[in-house]
Amino acid sequence: MSDFLDQIEACVPALRRYARALTRDADLADDLVQDCLERAISRRGLFRPAGPMRAWLFTILLNLYRNGLRNTRRRGTTVALDAMPVEPATPAPQPGHIALAEMARAIETLPTEQKEALLLIALEGLGYAEAAAILGIPQGTLMSRLGRARAALRAMTGGTGGPHLRTVK
Amino acid sequence: MSAPDKGMLMAYADGRLTPDEALRVETWLKSHPEDAAEVTLWMRQNDAIRTLFAPVASEPVPARLRPARIAAEIGARQARSWRWAAAAVLLLGIGLGAGWAVRPLLETAPPASQMLIADAVNAHRVFAAESRHAVEVVAAEEDHLVTWLSNRLATPVGTPDLSGEGFFLVGGRLLPGEADIGGRAAQLMYENGAKERITIYVTAALPDHEPAYRLVSHDGAEAFYWADARITCTVVGTLPEDRMKTLSQAVYSQLAGTQV
Repeated sequence: MSDFLDQIEACVPALRRYARALTRDADLADDLVQDCLERAISRRGLFRPAGPMRAWLFTILLNLYRNGLRNTRRRGTTVALDAMPVEPATPAPQPGHIALAEMARAIETLPTEQKEALLLIALEGLGYAEAAAILGIPQGTLMSRLGRARAALRAMTGGTGGPHLRTVK
Repeated sequence: MSAPDKGMLMAYADGRLTPDEALRVETWLKSHPEDAAEVTLWMRQNDAIRTLFAPVASEPVPARLRPARIAAEIGARQARSWRWAAAAVLLLGIGLGAGWAVRPLLETAPPASQMLIADAVNAHRVFAAESRHAVEVVAAEEDHLVTWLSNRLATPVGTPDLSGEGFFLVGGRLLPGEADIGGRAAQLMYENGAKERITIYVTAALPDHEPAYRLVSHDGAEAFYWADARITCTVVGTLPEDRMKTLSQAVYSQLAGTQV
């Protein structure tokens, strides 16, 4: 029991990080995490995850997030100003440098399925297989979503990628 | 080497390749600047995403997100809901028990007067037809009859004088009855010179002690019923209705009118 709770606790920072990136709202994100933890803890008797705790928790979190989105869409809430589609990208101040604010807005405009996938990989550092399992999609679908997400980000952040970016570390 | 596919390049940018694979991709990128540029861009995207959001994981976790606390709250909530469930079961049990207990009241039982009239008419049919055993205690022992029936009914029972109507007491008997509709009954039998008989069916008062009055034809007999705070009384006979009314009025005036 306490071992179970400890395992969950170890995942909380990552869950908060992912939720924050998904929602761009600290309170909303923590609400989401809290719902997720409550669900996981109250279900421990019914369903002990066979796989890794982290994947199970992320699956719950994503389901809650999607349900929340569905409800929000039904209610038709207003869209915050900075959640509006970004204006045409301005050239990056330095070659190859991506303005963070611009990137944040660009991520927000991604389709939900692309955003979910990209953040699991780029932010959470999950393996492709694990991420695909969490999202409930084949790995090939995951890869194409990642590709589309990155292309969209590139278009929106002006990361045109020129010859001057040739150097590779 | 053959061209790495896009997935391979992405895996390289995401650092998901084995060292061998990574080396091969690196070699490829050195001679393919377009791919190299894209991979670099992806890496920068990854960096930007991590820079934006990774610090969240280092923020202190609010107390409301501590699993131990959530578990405790869930436990308390479940305990509460168990208590509610237990209370609900208890209430349900009480409701069922009470419902069962008051069932006789809730069933569409005929009113007490109707049951008493039916009993009175039934008793009349049985005993008025008897010749030798029409009564238990004969009129010759009227004092004893009155004392006995009054004791058994726990209420004074008188024998009205119907000689004015040509009827004389034959005697009386004790009959069983339902406890909630007056209990035991006394039946007094009267007879006239033509061997016509009427009976008077008396019980103690009903629980409500309410005065009531009914005149009905029941099952071929005429029945005049009344109830007051002391007794219920049903006069039963098969005489014509007007004669029954006259007799009933005589009975009523003597039994109800006097505080015997």
